[in-house]
This record gives sequence, structure tokens and C-alpha cells, in this order.
Amino acid sequence: MKILTTLKKVVDVELNINVENGAIIEDGLQYVMNAWDENAVETAVQLKEKNKAETTLVNIGGGDDNTKIIRKGFAMGIDNAIQIDDPALENSDPSIYAGIIQKVYEQGEYDLIITGKQAQDTDSGQTGIILAEFLELPCVSNVIDIEAIDDQHIKVSRLGDAGTEILEIELPAVVTVSDGINEPRLPAMRGIMMAKKKKISVMDLAGLGISWDELGGGSPKSEITEFMKSETRQAGQKFEGDAAEITAKVVDLLANEAKVL
Amino acid sequence: MTKILVVADIKEGVLKGSTKELLSKARAIGAKTAVVAVGSDIESLSADLADAGSDTQYIADDKSLDLFSAAPFTSCVVDAAKQFEAGLIWFGFSETGKAVAPRVAAQLDAACASDITDAQIDGDQITITRPAIANKVMQKIKVNTEQLVAVVRAGAFEADESISGTQNVVKLSAPEPDLKAVIKEVLSDASGEIDLGDADIVISVGRGVKDQAGIDLVKGLADDLTAGFGSSRAMVDAGLMAQNKQVGQTGKIVAPNLYMALGISGAIQHLAGMTGSKTILAVNKDPEAPIFNVADYGIVGDLFEVVPILREEIKKIKG
Ligand SMILES: Cc1cc2nc3c(=O)[nH]c(=O)nc-3n(C[C@H](O)[C@H](O)[C@H](O)COP(=O)(O)OP(=O)(O)OC[C@H]3O[C@@H](n4cnc5c(N)ncnc54)[C@H](O)[C@@H]3O)c2cc1C
Ligand SMILES: Nc1ncnc2c1ncn2[C@@H]1O[C@H](COP(=O)(O)O)[C@@H](O)[C@H]1O
Repeated sequence: MKILTTLKKVVDVELNINVENGAIIEDGLQYVMNAWDENAVETAVQLKEKNKAETTLVNIGGGDDNTKIIRKGFAMGIDNAIQIDDPALENSDPSIYAGIIQKVYEQGEYDLIITGKQAQDTDSGQTGIILAEFLELPCVSNVIDIEAIDDQHIKVSRLGDAGTEILEIELPAVVTVSDGINEPRLPAMRGIMMAKKKKISVMDLAGLGISWDELGGGSPKSEITEFMKSETRQAGQKFEGDAAEITAKVVDLLANEAKVL
Repeated sequence: MTKILVVADIKEGVLKGSTKELLSKARAIGAKTAVVAVGSDIESLSADLADAGSDTQYIADDKSLDLFSAAPFTSCVVDAAKQFEAGLIWFGFSETGKAVAPRVAAQLDAACASDITDAQIDGDQITITRPAIANKVMQKIKVNTEQLVAVVRAGAFEADESISGTQNVVKLSAPEPDLKAVIKEVLSDASGEIDLGDADIVISVGRGVKDQAGIDLVKGLADDLTAGFGSSRAMVDAGLMAQNKQVGQTGKIVAPNLYMALGISGAIQHLAGMTGSKTILAVNKDPEAPIFNVADYGIVGDLFEVVPILREEIKKIKG
């Protein structure tokens, strides 16, 4: 089985993010691998360990932070890496990323594409699903369990509105994984050392054989025009002291001040 | 005139409140409204669908649509969108919406947006607002296509009880089943329980409740209040609460009148799912727990001591 996983660099959400004049202040930000992509990598590596598989990651973007997360993917057990680095990709949307991953897929004859269910910076959860539509492949999103049946079929569970849905999928296919699917491994020292030696195949859009015009016709379907501060809630009244006393007080406030009881 | 198609949110044969919320917003914008309903044995809902504020009801009712499958669901929505010539297609916040909206957008070559909290329409130009990065920022987004498919964040739009529509049913033909991603079964561990998305009060437990005894203690309070019973991820990871109880960025997004967080620290991924609540009560023994930064009322204390008193005091005022 040949597995392709997608890897995106995202801003570290645990740090403060400040907005000024409609833009995010870059100063002090740090970048990490998208948490759900860690789940995707872990899923690919576990499938490789249980069955025979070759794992490849694709990352769109350039610079040291992207190289760092690709190395982490290697250290977790991914075999090959393709990096698409092109300045034209500054202003993109999920359909453009999906168009690029489509091209990578078509050149590699993969059986399974695994993406994260969403990216922590966009929180949009679209890229994998749109990719499947472009490729006319079966797709299951929000997957919490996966198992290979044979070379052509996998069984997955996804969390849906009615409960846990169990599906059988014919390969090739796309799945997007939730964080409930596994606990991503911490790379071991040996993996980290090996990861330094592995080669990343870097190319721009021309190298991939695709033009910007083919992707979004030169313009994304939507674009962010402004970032704004979120309205943050104010800390309210906090009570410490005798449990009986403060609890009675809070119940009174819930009933008579907030009027929610 | 703008045309907005709302995808009906139906669970266990019942129309959910979000459908009316979305239609209320659509009517407030001054749009023409329609609704598309997909499922099995749902034709009887057409009056409810009109009552919710739609003037046309596209209904795909077929046995094959009993269990959710994304591809056929998508076909029905695309079919209705084309017939209605919809400019905007809105899904209520649900796993169904998240799975289907990007597919519909791809098939219509339209822009797609998740989790929107507002939409402005100025002539042909659509602009939307949405949170991103676990709610840390808001984005204003300019839509460059004529059509937009969007999932509306839970609690973003308010239902206007005074509106209603007219009944005008258009039956959709049954879509092709997906033969390549075949739904085998659905394991439901939630039937009969109060839906987190609908509940006026949601009470969630975190690692602070420790074990099953702690869960049972808090469940008693939830039962007293007929509240939805949710969880942080830590409790799901520990195997103590079901995955579909998880509130947060990867779980349910809830916006009840009252949210109680018991023994939950307040990690941003949890906050992303509940800060839209009207009133928040937190009980935590750590006075520095970040949950207190968003709580309207905070009790610093041991929940094992506080919860029984809470139950007593609430019983007193409720009589
Ligand atoms: C990609 C990603 C997605 C995630 N999605 C979600 C999500 O959707 N939802 C979610 O909840 N989390 C999510 N998380 C996990 C999140 O980061 C936290 O790990 C999780 O919310 C912590 O749960 P908790 O507050 O129950 O546990 P803890 O952080 O361990 O907090 C337990 C709290 O209980 C208090 N406590 C202990 N004993 C008592 C007592 N006797 N009485 C009162 N208080 C007590 C402690 O002071 C502490 O504050 C996600 C993480 C990642 C990386
Ligand atoms: N620039 C990118 N490079 C690689 N993968 C990406 C990129 N953008 C999105 N993806 C993948 O698509 C998933 C969903 O992203 P999104 O649609 O932005 O929420 C992520 O988990 C990634 O795996």
C-alpha cells in the first residue's frame, strides 16, 4: 500500500496571538506541525507497521519551519517527503492546496491519502474533502479508527451526528482523521538522527508540472481581508472560602442575577 | 434578490432548532428562502420546515437515506441548490454539515467557509466573519465567487419565533448510493439522551471528577436540571466518557444559557467549544485555572464537596 499524508505548518496555538491593524503580529509567534497532521502521520506509520506500506508526506510551503516539521515526520517514521515551495502560494485557499495535492497524488499512484481533519490556523476542515472531490475518490472525514481489510479495502469509523458510523471503503480513497484516532508518538533519538539524513524532494509549481492559472485561475475563491481580535469574555466573580456559603451565594446569583435557573 | 438555501438539520426524525435560526437570519437579510431536507420518513416534516421560515421545501425522502452517507447527501443538496438557483447554501453546525459543505462547494465550484458567525451581502459581494485559530482571532473574508457554501457556527444566529414560511414541497429524486464508501452500521450511544446542541443547560465534567463515581455525582446534578451532559477530552481519552460527549474544538460547539464546567482546567481547545454560552459557571479547586478567565461565576473548591451543596441549593429554589 502507498500512503500519502499531508503536513501543514501552523502557528503554535498555545502562545498569545495579537492582532493590530487587521493583521496578526508575527513577532513572537512560533510554528509547529498541525496537531491533526501528527495524527495523520501516526495513522500512516501504524498502518505501515501492521501491513506493508510505503509512506510519503507532502508539505506545501518553504522555510526553516516547514523543514523542521518535515524532519519530525521523518523521525516519526515517514519514508519520503515532497515539499512544494513557491512564492505564488502566499494567498491561497483550500481549493488551491487541494489542487496541488491532487497533482502530487496523480504522479505517485497512491492508494490512500490521509489528511488532518482540519488545520489549527484555519480551522476550516476542507482541504482533504475538496481534494477527494477533485480526484473523484471516496472520502470519509472525522475518522477515529482505521484498519486495512486487504490491498483494496479499508474499514473506518467516523464520529457522525447519529453516533459512530462504520464504513468500508474501496481504495484509492481519502480519509481525514480526528485527534481521537491515536496518540502521536514522540520521535525516538534514533529516528531523529535518521531523519537528518533523509532527502526532501523540493519543487516549485513548475517543477510539479502545474501552473498558478490552472490552480485558482489566478485568484482564490475567498480571501481573508482582515484579522480582528476575538471578543474575549471578562472574568466574572470568583468566590473562595466556605463551600456551603459560596455555593449558596452562586446559586442565588444564577437564579436572580443571571436568571438561568 | 439573494436566495438562501438552508440545509435542514434533522436528528432521529425531529427538526432541530438550528434550521429556524438560519432561516431567521436569511429572512432578516431579506433573502428568498428555501430548505432542503434529506432522510428517510421525513416527508411529514414539511409543515415544520415551512413553519421554520422556508418558502420552498426540497425533500429527498428515501429508505436508502436512512443512514448518513456523505456522497448521496451531497447530491441532494446540489440538486436543490441548482433548482433553487441558490446564492448561499447554509448548513447548521453539525458533523453532517462539516462533511458535506466542502463537497457541495467543490461540485458547484463555489467558495466554502466553515464556522461562520456573520454574513453580509452587499449587491453581489458576499463578506463573512468567522473565528479561527481556536477562536483566538476573527477573520473577515471576502468571497470571490457568486455562490458561497457555509457551515454556520452553533449559536451564531438567533431564532425569530415570529417568522414562518409557506408550504411548497418539491420532491427530489433519490440519489445514487455510494458504492465505494459503504456505510455498514451506526453505533449510537446517545439515543434518548439530551442533545448537547439543544440543551438550555449543559454540564461538563473534566479530569477533576477523577472516576466513574465522580461522573455519577455530577450526572445527578445534570438529571435534576434536565441538562445536557458533556465532557472535556481528558475524560474521553480516559475512556470514561463517550467521544460524542466531548465539548470543544474537535467536539461539540455549544452555546446554552448556562454552561457548568466541573473540574475542567480551561484549555483553549475546550474553551473553543463553549465560550459562546450565555452564562458560565466553573468549579475548580485551583484558583489559577484558566477556566476562571471566562467564567461569569467561579467557585474555588473541591467539586466533591461543592456538587452535593449545589444540588441542595438548586432544589431549594426550584421547590
Ligand atoms: C488538536 C487538539 C484538539 C483538542 N480538542 C479538544 C476538545 O475538543 N475538547 C477538550 O476538552 N479538549 C481538547 N483538547 C485537549 C485540551 O488541550 C486539554 O488537554 C483538555 O481539555 C484537558 O481536559 P481537563 O480540563 O478535563 O483536564 P486537566 O487539564 O487535567 O484539568 C483538570 C482540572 O480539574 C481540576 N481539579 C482536579 N481535582 C478537582 C477537584 N476535586 N475539584 C475541583 N477541581 C478539580 C484541576 O485543578 C484542573 O484544573 C485538544 C487538544 C488538541 C491538541
Ligand atoms: N499548505 C498545506 N500543506 C500541506 N497540507 C495542507 C496544507 N493546507 C492544508 N493541508 C492539509 O489539509 C488539512 C485540512 O486543512 P484545512 O482545510 O485548512 O482545515 C490539514 O490537516 C492538512 O493536512
